[in-house]
Amino acid sequence: MADIELRRLVIKAYHMTDVAMGDENKVTADGRMTVNNDCLAEIVGKHSEVIEKIDVEVIKPGDHDRYTNTIMDIIPISVKVLGKCGEGITHTITGVYIMPTGVDVDGKQAHEFGSSEGRLKDMLYLNRAGTPSDDDFIISFNITFKKGMGQERHAIIDAYRAVEEWMGTFRAQLKKFNGSMATERHEYYDRIRPGQKKVLVIKEMIAHGAMLDTWIFPDEPSGVEGGKSLIDYGCTPIMLTPNEFRDGAIKAMN
Amino acid sequence: MGVGPSTKETSLHHFRDPLIEVLGNDPGIDLMGVLVFGSPEGNAEKIRCSRTAAVIAECARPDGVIVETDGWGNLDVDFVNCVNEIGERGIPVAGLNWSGTAGKFVVESKYLDNVVDFNKNAEGIESNIVGENNYTEEDVRECLKRLKIAMAKKERGIK
Repeated sequence: MADIELRRLVIKAYHMTDVAMGDENKVTADGRMTVNNDCLAEIVGKHSEVIEKIDVEVIKPGDHDRYTNTIMDIIPISVKVLGKCGEGITHTITGVYIMPTGVDVDGKQAHEFGSSEGRLKDMLYLNRAGTPSDDDFIISFNITFKKGMGQERHAIIDAYRAVEEWMGTFRAQLKKFNGSMATERHEYYDRIRPGQKKVLVIKEMIAHGAMLDTWIFPDEPSGVEGGKSLIDYGCTPIMLTPNEFRDGAIKAMN
Repeated sequence: MGVGPSTKETSLHHFRDPLIEVLGNDPGIDLMGVLVFGSPEGNAEKIRCSRTAAVIAECARPDGVIVETDGWGNLDVDFVNCVNEIGERGIPVAGLNWSGTAGKFVVESKYLDNVVDFNKNAEGIESNIVGENNYTEEDVRECLKRLKIAMAKKERGIK
């Protein structure tokens, strides 16, 4: 019996080949991206109770013999172009990923159980599903928290909001990219395969508190705004279609 | 960084999760969905949430279930309870979990045989290296193989 297709999600990827510091925060469909620190003062101002400063740097592929503060997450830049989570069209950037890092003004690393500060080449295992590859650029989004704030849940959430506010400039541009210029196009289906083995996946995700937190259903893929912590759902199981999961419905907040 | 930087799954991992990729691409598998539950701090809540997940599984009538967690230590309590509750309900179950040498299960169950330990660190420890102890496509394939065997055994009435 033929597969029954319930809904389709198209993810169009735009690969970046040239990422550098520049005059503006700009990304183009032909693979060029520039970033700068100009807009960060405004973002810090919005979160001044918990964040002292932020600076952004571009790390070239292989240029990993450098110090990093503890790595909080690796985040893709993606945006919903058409449809709801799990269907329609999503644009995403490949070739560069965002790496928020955190430390407080006294040098205390923003971590809960084990921290990853040190030489980047020793502390980041490349080429995993969840980490950049050998050929990828990394944008290190370095957050300096106010004293003691690197251990506070509300401050960590604020830090991720700051990352997303900064990302917003790029998302707005990415959303308008010409679909035909995508370097990769992936079609994913929620489908029924009649007669085949029905398998359910169960994922247990941490939901303890500060840096031990997972959020679900953000407005934009792998985003924060509009999302909610699994803690707020009382940790009760929530069912997602495979396509919702593929469309960035889960944001690591640890 | 969460329960150990090397085992924690990043947002990028969720976005291109090999577990969903491999199961979604297997023509012999009808991937029903992804049931997500939080791992709370309190023990009573852990038992309740992980049991509820098993109840939902039972009600959905799957042929098999894969349970995965990116945590260890106290997260084993919910993980093992979930696997155990599914096993007790007569549903073939396999799993993915980091154990290594430092994260051996703190609780036991007779249904843990099909759980793949996706440790990648030579010493089996939480190395603090981001991404090191994450599961890969190969781990998922091994887990799915074990689940397929368990499902076939049940079909043929083999204990």
